Amino acid sequence: MVVEASTPFEASEFETQDLLINVGPQHPSTHGVFRMVLEIDGEVVKDLVPYIGYLHRGAEKLCENNDFRQGIGYMDRTEYLAAHNAELSYVMAVEALAEIEVPERAQWIRMILCELNRISSHFMFLGAFGVDVGVFGTPFIYAWRERETVIDLFEEISGDRMMYAYFRAGGLAWEVPTNFVERVQQVLKSARQGVKDFDGLLTENEIFIARTKGVGVISAEDAIEIGMSGPSLRASGVPLDLRKTEPYLYYDQLDFEPITAEGGDVFDRYLVRLQEISQSIDLIEQCLDRLQDGPIVPEKMPRMLRLPEGEVYMRTEAPRGEYGVYMVSKGGNKPHRLKVRSACLSNLQALKQMSVGQYVADAIIILGSIDIVLSEVDR
Amino acid sequence: MAMTPGTATTTTEPAAPEVAPATPAAPDAPLAPDTNFPGEHPNEIPALAPITPQPGKALYRQALPGVMQVPADLVLAAARKSSLWPMTFGLACCAIEMIGTYMSHYDLDRFGIVPWPSPRQSDVMIVAGTVTKKMAPAVKLLYEQMPNPKWVISMGACATNGGPYTRYDRVLQGVDKIIPVDVYVPGCPPRPEALIDSFLALQDMIMEERSAEGRGA
Amino acid sequence: MTTDDSGSDAVEEAPEPPDTFEDTIWPDVNRSLTAVDVRPERSTLDLIVHIPRADVVRGLGMLKNAEALKFDYLRSLTAVDNEADGVDVVYHLYSVPNNINLTVKTTLANDDKVVETASNVWQAANWLERETAEMFGVTFTNHPDPRPLLMPEDVDMSDTFPLLKSHPFAEIDILQGEQLGYDRDADEGD
Repeated sequence: MVVEASTPFEASEFETQDLLINVGPQHPSTHGVFRMVLEIDGEVVKDLVPYIGYLHRGAEKLCENNDFRQGIGYMDRTEYLAAHNAELSYVMAVEALAEIEVPERAQWIRMILCELNRISSHFMFLGAFGVDVGVFGTPFIYAWRERETVIDLFEEISGDRMMYAYFRAGGLAWEVPTNFVERVQQVLKSARQGVKDFDGLLTENEIFIARTKGVGVISAEDAIEIGMSGPSLRASGVPLDLRKTEPYLYYDQLDFEPITAEGGDVFDRYLVRLQEISQSIDLIEQCLDRLQDGPIVPEKMPRMLRLPEGEVYMRTEAPRGEYGVYMVSKGGNKPHRLKVRSACLSNLQALKQMSVGQYVADAIIILGSIDIVLSEVDR
Repeated sequence: MAMTPGTATTTTEPAAPEVAPATPAAPDAPLAPDTNFPGEHPNEIPALAPITPQPGKALYRQALPGVMQVPADLVLAAARKSSLWPMTFGLACCAIEMIGTYMSHYDLDRFGIVPWPSPRQSDVMIVAGTVTKKMAPAVKLLYEQMPNPKWVISMGACATNGGPYTRYDRVLQGVDKIIPVDVYVPGCPPRPEALIDSFLALQDMIMEERSAEGRGA
Repeated sequence: MTTDDSGSDAVEEAPEPPDTFEDTIWPDVNRSLTAVDVRPERSTLDLIVHIPRADVVRGLGMLKNAEALKFDYLRSLTAVDNEADGVDVVYHLYSVPNNINLTVKTTLANDDKVVETASNVWQAANWLERETAEMFGVTFTNHPDPRPLLMPEDVDMSDTFPLLKSHPFAEIDILQGEQLGYDRDADEGD
């Protein structure tokens, strides 16, 4: 028996107190040491103050003390989930300053490795994002199953699972194994299956859709004003992909379009990354068709690089956005100033704007959908 | 106590005595098994038969076969080492290798190691990554929130002595400046097998030091 | 490898004509920056313009709103320490509709590192200026939120600026071979 209220409910004039919650530097989601202080009224977030800097390790200052080959190791550790993309910006900046011509085979292999790294980084995002949304076990284990296939291939090529240090100014460190093409095809086959698994698990899942659609919306104008880049910007409808607008390596010879979505909410950011994995698989296949034999370093490579005076701002499309390296050289074998333009720092500025007015649980999902890596935010 | 037949039911049929009253047991005889029991239950403790103690073997082994006597600290140490619950405390790049060790490829769950987010219910803290001076108070607070016995594994070069970032003055040169460390794992980052090896070394250490009252007591 | 562009093997050579920057976006930039003292320079990929400190934010606003340029995206904001020559604040701009790049530089003297904030022009400058301020000691006036971004909140580190060249590297406390580890015998009974 339902008893209807005689008068409709009206919130009284009684003021409830706002609560300050500290989502501290250690928390169960796997994003690293990030702290935010939420001021909530009930469950609605009224204000959000992020605190970063818990992993500020001074990579920029330390690179001024190390020469141009030692800096590659620091760039790896700055963006540890997409280390090939980070090394690529740095190595291309050195090559632009020193005017080194890179042979063709090295460029194609660099493209293949960067796209493979994009695949493994996006799979890690899918896994961690699933954990944030609440699906605790399955997406994470699927994600790591796919990552392990890619990382095994990287270990066969460069010797390390995560910090490759395989690119050099001028090309690559050593030749890839002889079964490189077959191994890459195996990895792609497994990655295709992984995309299908995630698609079937999450995209049509009505709980997932109910949690993520319409949450954390940011418009295209606001995103450009804040300086977002990468999949988070493309999910708001802006077709800005550095591989297309300012092509580097041989991306202008490949056939692809930037993937965009309309809404700018959390679901769109997830969908753009899922589709980018398929796009990367396609790009790698195009690269494998064009890969030919040849040298991987130019003939006259000096042992100790001494760069002329000059400066360059070299930007590439990392999985998280625009990863830029601004290098100022005043002669000598060490850079005078090395600045890393971090995609995650600029993307993180939008967190407050996207979260105010949403529930506390949504604030966690929004943070997950920006896909930050703390060592790039803090450097 | 025998039940009076006929008082419990409300039907009108004359109740016949169906339950036979149990025979009162003689005070010296051993307890007879329950007659209503259908067969011998597998978990039933067999009746204690009187024995004559023989020299050369412990009394309890003769009277209670199937019971093992061990020192209490061995049991406690074996239990502690087989169910180490680490607090998920990944700071930097080593956290990714730590997560990879938990996952199916290099499974840590088979050792009883389950990652646990809360410090109040965990045993081990794996400091995976660089500890900066901004983060150091939080690390110390988390260490002190863990109940005893607790252990610390310092994973990677950065947690051991600052690693590649040791020349920067905002970086703490090693986490052992603020908390006591039991096992150091070298590497940048250490391979998952190295982390498994460090857990096995920690297990050996727990078994060796079992006579102490537990770490941090 | 250094590039040697002054022809050393020719004895007589006509002097190189001054660079007019006609093939870059310099003419549009020059037209848009009215009443601002601006000087161009080439870098490896983009064009650099030097604007003095007093006019730089005004110039950035003009560059953002100019019809031909529309630099609506601030890529990066940082500083370079040139020791005796002062500190350069560098802005990297990008235009989404026109797909063009520009670098803007302004020089601050070492004893007077003050410049107007650019966060009224682009909201992206907010955190980037906070980081530049704490790394180099540059003060951005009228900044909406002038707190340190990456440094610890302890007071004792607030007057040192790590990315200046005069800031030293840390010394290594314990070298390899010496006693490592927390001295647990020394601190019993807590």
